[in-house]
Amino acid sequence: MKENCLEIGIVQAFMDGELPHDQIARVSDHLERCDSCAFMLGQAEDEASLVFSALDREFNTLVPTQRLWTKINDSIETQNGNRPFWQKAQAFLATAFASPSLVGAAGLLIAVGAFSLVMLNREPIPADMVSVPKSMTVPVPDAEPIRVLEPVVSSPAMETTADEVPRIQRAVYRPQVQTAALTTVPERAVTALSNGYMEGEESYVKTISSLARTVEDQKDSVLRPSERVAYERDMALVDDTIAKMRQEVKRNPRNESAKQVLYSSYQNKIDLLNSVSQKEELVASLR
Amino acid sequence: MKKFIEITYRGITIAVICLTASIAGLAQATPPPVRPKIEVKPPTPHVVIPRKPAMPASPGENSEKSIKVDRDVNITLPCISRGSLKVTGWNRNEVRVFVDNGNKFNFTVSEKSPSTGEPVWIKISGVPGRVRYGPMSECLWGEDIEIDVPVNASVSIKGQDITSRIDSIRKAEIKVVGGNIVLRNIANGIAAYAGQGDITVESSKGSISLESTTGNILVFDAGPSDIGDPFRAKTNGGAISLQTVDHRQLDVSSISGSVTYSGNIRSGGSYNLRTLQGSIRMAIPEKSASKISATYGFGTFRSEIPINISTENISEGPVKIVGGSLGVGGDAIIRLSSNNGSITISKKKP
Repeated sequence: MKENCLEIGIVQAFMDGELPHDQIARVSDHLERCDSCAFMLGQAEDEASLVFSALDREFNTLVPTQRLWTKINDSIETQNGNRPFWQKAQAFLATAFASPSLVGAAGLLIAVGAFSLVMLNREPIPADMVSVPKSMTVPVPDAEPIRVLEPVVSSPAMETTADEVPRIQRAVYRPQVQTAALTTVPERAVTALSNGYMEGEESYVKTISSLARTVEDQKDSVLRPSERVAYERDMALVDDTIAKMRQEVKRNPRNESAKQVLYSSYQNKIDLLNSVSQKEELVASLR
Repeated sequence: MKKFIEITYRGITIAVICLTASIAGLAQATPPPVRPKIEVKPPTPHVVIPRKPAMPASPGENSEKSIKVDRDVNITLPCISRGSLKVTGWNRNEVRVFVDNGNKFNFTVSEKSPSTGEPVWIKISGVPGRVRYGPMSECLWGEDIEIDVPVNASVSIKGQDITSRIDSIRKAEIKVVGGNIVLRNIANGIAAYAGQGDITVESSKGSISLESTTGNILVFDAGPSDIGDPFRAKTNGGAISLQTVDHRQLDVSSISGSVTYSGNIRSGGSYNLRTLQGSIRMAIPEKSASKISATYGFGTFRSEIPINISTENISEGPVKIVGGSLGVGGDAIIRLSSNNGSITISKKKP
């Protein structure tokens, strides 16, 4: 070993990175020139790696030091100082209600307060519903034959005025009443279905039913009043002819002329319905 | 003991605070809401309000434009909202449009001829502007709309409420929601639809298809331009009158209107005239030769020309039928059907 060789402590400090910057540079220069010191550094590194590999598990276990505890406590105090008011109140209440007597008193008060609230907010019962003499009886109409009823769809005309005294609303059931215009085609189609078809008639009826469903929604907006009148007149005429011809064909199935007129009338009906769709398409294309 | 007193004192303090808060809260309670008085109006009866046509928001102005085109040009007018339209053919390869008291318009060239470079397909549309009863519209409108086109032009028009007159062009296709249509001297085909209005065709040839919802259809002097060109006329509630229609394929139907035919019976022709409620009158030359079938219900059948009856069923019932032949050796077929009207065949005066 040369006389200016590095001491083992300095080599160890160099390896651990504990030397100041100027000394690190000097030691580095020396290690480049001095083989013995470089050898000593290599030995130290080998020993360190051996030790670290053996004690790796212990080194990686986190052991809080007093300094760490101090930092944790400082952070908690800082966070407590930044907490909002409601969190502080919540913390206070949690501490205060830790006592069983306080919990009991508070629960009692809450119960009394809720009861008072309910009693004070009760609505007064309307005068006409307060007392009903037991002697009063509602006349019950005679029993009618049982019918399948459908609920009436509420319409504006049936609504009561709002300034009337509120009453208990009872569901009113009546037989469903439909306008003739809405039921003309589907009902007749159903009738035809139930009565059975002639050859080729079913396709006509199905086509008419599907067309009618579409046209029912369109005709009010597409047809002008005079056109609407003419449409309904022609439709009634066609329906009348169909009914008469069906009756004739049913009476005399060999009457080919009646069948031809019947099919022709079906075609007329399809044309009539198509005319509404055609006009709707034209109006839509012009918008 | 001291701890018990402290706990009791703390409990009483909290109880007083809570009680005070409860009373204060109750004092702040809002009174029960008063039901608002809403007058429910009786329902208005359902009235179908006819849609108003798109009307200009501002008074119109006069404008005129022209464009050089190919002689076989196709002209499209996608929307005419109102006015009196007049399309006339002239012997110039030019389209001229004059709008009186209406909006401005543009030509749009959709296609040019690869040989001449001239437009073969143009579109005429109004300059978009606000209309009173609708959104921004490209519809053309004006009190009078005059369009001069080459005589060989083909015109396609869609309109709302317009009165249209088309004269001396090659082909016309027109669809209007309302308004009468007059077509004259159309050389090679007509397709006309009027939602509510009459259709009149005069001196025209080609395949002809006429349809009106509630209007009448009148045709004078029409015929095919090619063999097999059909003629079709259909109206729901109007009458159909045909004079000198030389097509061999006629399909004419009305639901509640009468049908009148005056003309020749061509060899090999097929003439179908139908109505549900209305009369059918047919005036044909005395020496016509054809097969004939007349179906009627609650009306009558009468013929001034002798018919060789082959089948007849005129017994009581909703359907009566007479089948036979007119003249000798005719291969044309006439089918007449009126469910609730008279059928008459008369001699056509020379």
